[in-house]
Amino acid sequence: MDRKGRELSETVWTRMDRKAAAIIELTMRQLRHRISTWVVLGVGVLLMVLLLAFYVDSVRESFDPIDNDGDSFDEDGDGYPMGQERKYGTPDWDAEQYPGASVFVPESDIDWNDRDRSMYGNKSWEGTAFFEASWIDYDYTGNWWDSHVDWNQQGGEPELTDCSDWELEEILYTNACDFGDGDGDGLTTYFVSGKWKGEGTATVPDSYYLSWGHWTERTYIEPDPPEMYINEDGIDCFDGLILRGVDWEESRVDCPSEFRLSGSHGFDNDGDCLSLNEGNGDDDNRNGIECDVQWFATNGVVTGIEADYLVDEDPDEQEYIGELGHRTFVIAVGKMAFVILLGLFIPMFLSLGLVRDETENGTLHLLLSKPIHRAEFIIYRLIGYLAISGSYVIALSLVVGLISSILGPGEGIIRLADLPVWIGIGAATVLVLAAYGSMFNAMGLISPKYGVYLCIVFGIWEFMMGSFSILNPNWSIASVSISHWALQMIDAVVLLAWPDTIQWAEMDSAFEIDSGLSVFWQPPVHTLGTASAGVALLNSLLVLLVVTVAWIFIAKSVFSRREIM
Amino acid sequence: MTTENQNPPAVLIDQVSKWYGQIIGINDLSLAIDGGVTGILGPNGAGKSTLFKLMMGRIKPSQGSVRLFGVDPWTNTSPYRRVGYVSESEKLYEWMTALDFVTTLARLHGMTREEATERSAHVLEFVGLSDVMHKELGKFSKGMRQRVKIAHALVHDPDLIILDEPLHGCDPLARTSIMSVIREMGKQGKTILVSSHILEEIERITEQIVILHNGRLLALGNLHAIRDLLDKHPHRILINCEDPRSLASLFISEDPVFGVRFPRDGQLEIQTNNLSAAHSVLPSIVVKSNQKITSIENPDDNLDSLLGYLIKEGN
Repeated sequence: MDRKGRELSETVWTRMDRKAAAIIELTMRQLRHRISTWVVLGVGVLLMVLLLAFYVDSVRESFDPIDNDGDSFDEDGDGYPMGQERKYGTPDWDAEQYPGASVFVPESDIDWNDRDRSMYGNKSWEGTAFFEASWIDYDYTGNWWDSHVDWNQQGGEPELTDCSDWELEEILYTNACDFGDGDGDGLTTYFVSGKWKGEGTATVPDSYYLSWGHWTERTYIEPDPPEMYINEDGIDCFDGLILRGVDWEESRVDCPSEFRLSGSHGFDNDGDCLSLNEGNGDDDNRNGIECDVQWFATNGVVTGIEADYLVDEDPDEQEYIGELGHRTFVIAVGKMAFVILLGLFIPMFLSLGLVRDETENGTLHLLLSKPIHRAEFIIYRLIGYLAISGSYVIALSLVVGLISSILGPGEGIIRLADLPVWIGIGAATVLVLAAYGSMFNAMGLISPKYGVYLCIVFGIWEFMMGSFSILNPNWSIASVSISHWALQMIDAVVLLAWPDTIQWAEMDSAFEIDSGLSVFWQPPVHTLGTASAGVALLNSLLVLLVVTVAWIFIAKSVFSRREIM
Repeated sequence: MTTENQNPPAVLIDQVSKWYGQIIGINDLSLAIDGGVTGILGPNGAGKSTLFKLMMGRIKPSQGSVRLFGVDPWTNTSPYRRVGYVSESEKLYEWMTALDFVTTLARLHGMTREEATERSAHVLEFVGLSDVMHKELGKFSKGMRQRVKIAHALVHDPDLIILDEPLHGCDPLARTSIMSVIREMGKQGKTILVSSHILEEIERITEQIVILHNGRLLALGNLHAIRDLLDKHPHRILINCEDPRSLASLFISEDPVFGVRFPRDGQLEIQTNNLSAAHSVLPSIVVKSNQKITSIENPDDNLDSLLGYLIKEGN
């Protein structure tokens, strides 16, 4: 007890909050007064602006859709894309036949067995017959391979061979000969073989065949825009559910996990598959569902994709590349820009001299002549540094997150599902700042003179291990680094916030979209065999905290024993 | 002198040695200080700062024990609740205002911001800086900086105040002001340690002194007692005047003066065995001589000659 009746023991560790607040505040003000702080934080902001600019650029450009099965092309030049011609059943190689063009409607025929071998009418005929014509449509012509009769019309009447010179068997298909007006009724009878159109009486000789019908009126059908046949099908479980009678809007909300990988996906959005087989559609892959895509997966890996005929087996680029690109951007920025770059450089500039600089500046004596334990001092300094760098990183991650989620694909104005990912990125970076901060601070204390070189060596190690961890998180040596665990944390948070990321990553590689998602993201490794993202998250969190505390402890041991001249 | 004492002394140094490699900083020093103003006197390198650093837990004694209020400051910082320390370091947070600076450090004692601000303003007024307390420290003169350092050491109303060369580099005005502050604190019953390598400075502050030399305790006690000893050994008084010879004739008849010399033109050296007695007759002789005296110097009345004397006595 001193003269004022205070317990000495009470006076050191008591009122820690006030002392902490004072040192934290002092540290923050000191950092604010240093140019290097503003330079490194400014460079961070610049980096993010640059990355966002790249993102805006890619949002504008890269979503150009690709027609995977080519049915948006108008092969025959009739103005209708192939997909639309398939739906209307017109051939895509014939410019004359297109949706809405006049179509031949067969009516009846006289075949070899028919007794009644005469037919009167104004028809389009095909076959072989004696035709007593009251009118012939000489304009009803076509290409020679279409079997149209060539009437050799010169002026008014056709110039045909006199049939008397011909044996009937010698009349070639697509030819006709003139019998003249045999019965004197003013109507000429021709012997015709091929296709022709006209009004009159057709008499079919025995063992010959004639069929007839009429051409429909031509109707105008609006050609579909080619784009309609480009993104014809977004392969996803939502589409697949339509076939099971589940409402579209409702089923878009979430993708049930059992449909995520293996199962029936996709739907023939443009209907060109469903128009086959008299409207029953096609089931090429024989899974019992018409016009779908069957996914085969083993142990969560897509091993095969079989699509029914005319169902585009490729994803909707607009939706898929957009979504994949967005996620890749978020993950890549979170890992490379936040954890590796900001996570390394901010502590290198701000934390190396947290305690060391006080010694070098000669101001440490001011602080150490106060009733504060040296360990307390280290902790408060680190908290002060974290208060500045951490709030900066969190604010930056939220701003970048907000901007990218406004620009990013999706139905809402902002993508709310991104928020937990960005919070996770911010939190992982703050933990990295804490771990590196305590480590670099300790190095500054261990070797005030050469600590900076130690930090550079460690920084290079961390950078390399971080890069390896992105490419191959299973590589065990990489786990002897702080960055590895922070990157694992982001992997885990991504999986928790966007549970379908595994599916996206599989599709990315299955469809060779090359968005980079499977490069920058892989499922978290350290799940202790549970394959649970939550376990991986806790695991990484714990490792980062333990590392931080361990380095604080090392710094404390060094600092407590140091004699300060 | 035991640590089990209910009220251990403010400072207890027990057979402490501290060496840096081959160099000895403090050599087998034992000291107990409690109450009053004590001057720690010694030439540069005598171990004054080392002694203070040992007390402030900055360095660890190689041998022996240091106790502040019965607690080892190397392992426990709790005594600093009751200690104010003005270090020899000139470094402050230049970008802070004086009030800001003292307040920030006061909060490290666990004061609230309001309490700290109030007391800092008060203590800055005490050291005479109330009108500049909102100015940045970077713009402060040396004397003002010293007073800011004293203010920060006083802000928590400590029982023990340690001042390492508080007058070093200050202008005369600042010296006077700082000395009066120290004397004032002494009157308040605090234990104060002031180090200096200038005898005259310490003399103006306190009579209780500790003299260190080469890390050893050379003398301890009342400055006047020591000075009386010193007076007994031959002293010189140098007087610059118009006519040294006529002045010498007046001095030679005086009792404490046993010899005169004329080291230079216009200069008289008086040799005496009793400095204070010589000084007491000096004014009347000067008046009697009716000469213009340009200066009176006491070349032997400094720490070096005191040390030289003490070392000789010791031998």
